[in-house]
Amino acid sequence: MNCGQVKRLLPPFLDGELSGRARDNIASHLASCPACRADLEALKADIDLLEQAGTPEVTSFLVTRVMAEIRERGRPVPHGFARLVGSLAAALVVAVSIGAGVFFGSGLAQASTPVAANSTEEVVSYVESSTTGMYSMMSGGD
Amino acid sequence: MAAFEELVRRHQHGLFSYLYRMCRNSSDAEELAQAAMVRAWEKLAGFRGASSFKTWLYRIGTNLCFNLRTRRKPTEELFETMAAPDSARPEQAFQQKVREEVVQRALARLPADQRAALVLSVYQDMSYREIAETMGKSVRAVDSLLFRAKTNVRKALAQDRAKGII
Repeated sequence: MNCGQVKRLLPPFLDGELSGRARDNIASHLASCPACRADLEALKADIDLLEQAGTPEVTSFLVTRVMAEIRERGRPVPHGFARLVGSLAAALVVAVSIGAGVFFGSGLAQASTPVAANSTEEVVSYVESSTTGMYSMMSGGD
Repeated sequence: MAAFEELVRRHQHGLFSYLYRMCRNSSDAEELAQAAMVRAWEKLAGFRGASSFKTWLYRIGTNLCFNLRTRRKPTEELFETMAAPDSARPEQAFQQKVREEVVQRALARLPADQRAALVLSVYQDMSYREIAETMGKSVRAVDSLLFRAKTNVRKALAQDRAKGII
């Protein structure tokens, strides 16, 4: 790998986007090329400077304004979203019930706080983590 | 609706921060963040889960920001800098303000798509794939945008360094 090729790949290398042979080749080149190492350090310094510049805090009223505008528009809860929330809540109840059955049946039960199977927190976590699952559930509900 | 409100709370800071870096003033950033979240609510039934909720929300915000830039004449753009934070160490506060202004200028000189890719990478810690989903581009295109953005930022910062500003 020559210096021109390495310089072109320094940004994705620094961002951790390279893997395998490409990453190893660049690391090997950097170990023996002071000029390219200096370039890498200069790139790091630029990114550090960008990161040090903060941003103002968002107003504490943004959430309030968003929800007020949604309610003011008078739209009903989107059909698909309502069905999704219902499906997720039902799925969580089933999952918790099965889990509880296994847990207690195994004799390992300890005193614990009952799980709120359809809490807002669980619905939000499920939405944010399960994109394919969400699509499947929405499609299956139609 | 409680679940959606929780999603808004979780993403408001990051989305506002991204839009602030894009439009360079907090008033526009708040308006766009609000508009993006309301539109996300309206379009939620059509969300197919092909991307994460975050990249989908940020894509809505990106499109609104680009549309605003298209509608607005260049002379109408506001460019604000943050007020220096209250500090018992005024020199440190002054240096922070200088850094903020230098960064804002460097970002302002970038074309909008380069700025978006760079801000999503540096401030939102998105992977190239996530940036691609947010911007509706390929990973290869994002890689190219980031290379050009970082090259251009380096030139801008080098000028400020040469002047002794940073």
